[in-house]
Amino acid sequence: MGRSWGSVAEFEGFLDAGGIVEPVDAMPDEYRQHVFRFIELHANSELMGGLTERDWIPKAPGLRRKLAVLAKTQDEIGHAHLLYMVAADLGVKTRVEMLEDLFANRGRFHNVFHYQAVTWADQVAIAYLVDAAALISQQAVFKNCSYGPYKRILRRIVAEEGFHMRHGEEMLLVFAEGTAVQREMFQAALDRWWWPTLHMFGPPSKPDDALLRWHIKSERNEDLRDKWVQKYATLLTGYGFVPPDPDLRRDPESGRWVTGEIDWAPLKATFANLGPDSARRVADAARHWNETRWVREALESVARRAA
Amino acid sequence: MNVYEVFLKKAGKEEFRHAGSLEAADDELALVLARETYARRAEGDQMWLVERRHIVVADEDYVAPNADKPHRHNDGVRVAERRRAGSDRA
Ligand SMILES: [Fe+2]
Ligand SMILES: [Fe+2]
Repeated sequence: MGRSWGSVAEFEGFLDAGGIVEPVDAMPDEYRQHVFRFIELHANSELMGGLTERDWIPKAPGLRRKLAVLAKTQDEIGHAHLLYMVAADLGVKTRVEMLEDLFANRGRFHNVFHYQAVTWADQVAIAYLVDAAALISQQAVFKNCSYGPYKRILRRIVAEEGFHMRHGEEMLLVFAEGTAVQREMFQAALDRWWWPTLHMFGPPSKPDDALLRWHIKSERNEDLRDKWVQKYATLLTGYGFVPPDPDLRRDPESGRWVTGEIDWAPLKATFANLGPDSARRVADAARHWNETRWVREALESVARRAA
Repeated sequence: MNVYEVFLKKAGKEEFRHAGSLEAADDELALVLARETYARRAEGDQMWLVERRHIVVADEDYVAPNADKPHRHNDGVRVAERRRAGSDRA
């Protein structure tokens, strides 16, 4: 069942011509592994992001914000669920295996969820900067991804990230037009989140990047990062905030923003789950997983009875 | 746990469309999870859930030959040519 290809070269020809791969197809194992790892990383990140968001439901100022954070939490956990289903269908790991790897600190998730959100302004910075960065990356994957189920599910995820970004923009406005204390609060959050957001796009893509060759991703990391910098350097400085990069400047000829040298060491640390808040976050997620074991056991007994 | 496929439809609009899948213990819990995962912002007002193992799947080798039956189509070329010839004369 499904399609098959005589060789990897033939498969790559199919992808170069805009071919879309479906789970029933006999795709080369290396493609399967790459697309699986990419979706698993995305799923883990949505889940870890959702858990951080959840922490702020009781602390968000006012009922309207609490409801918005509640909705966002539900979106992120929902995104994780959708993505775990798509990843599981690749047959590399089951949904539960992916979760157990994550909670046993054997999984990976995006760098931005390896840092602590210190104040409410950090949550605003996350919604304003990080959700926007995620949206730019995901839109680029959605446009041209060669793996059909991932491309289709991204349509929903991208649409919902749009709500998060707009909510972030509205909250930012409160800080930008607020008191001196509020402006200082957001500036301090920006100092913490500017570089991690730049890192989130990843180091510059290598010329032989398999994700690009197989049209799993369609744009280079540095190009997506640049897209984000052009938009957010303009917006933030327009609001009178100062990105924590003394070398950030506008190129006088092109008018484009140029950042200073990016230090990749903090990103590499998060790859090994050795970021400033990695251990606490993974332990916290694992604690929730253990505390809700009885719910899963109850559900499984229902499933057994139904069978 | 069972895997369900989720289909959504807006009343009066198009056909049921595949939205994605989910894992649930039974039909009732699958409905709750489907609503909360796939229809939080009025993406549809009708929903079908089908357990994946109940879906009858046709092999491509069985379906695809139907793409090669020109006698089931008519490209209308001959009639169009005749019409053009007619209007030239007029
Ligand atoms: Fe998300
Ligand atoms: Fe989000």
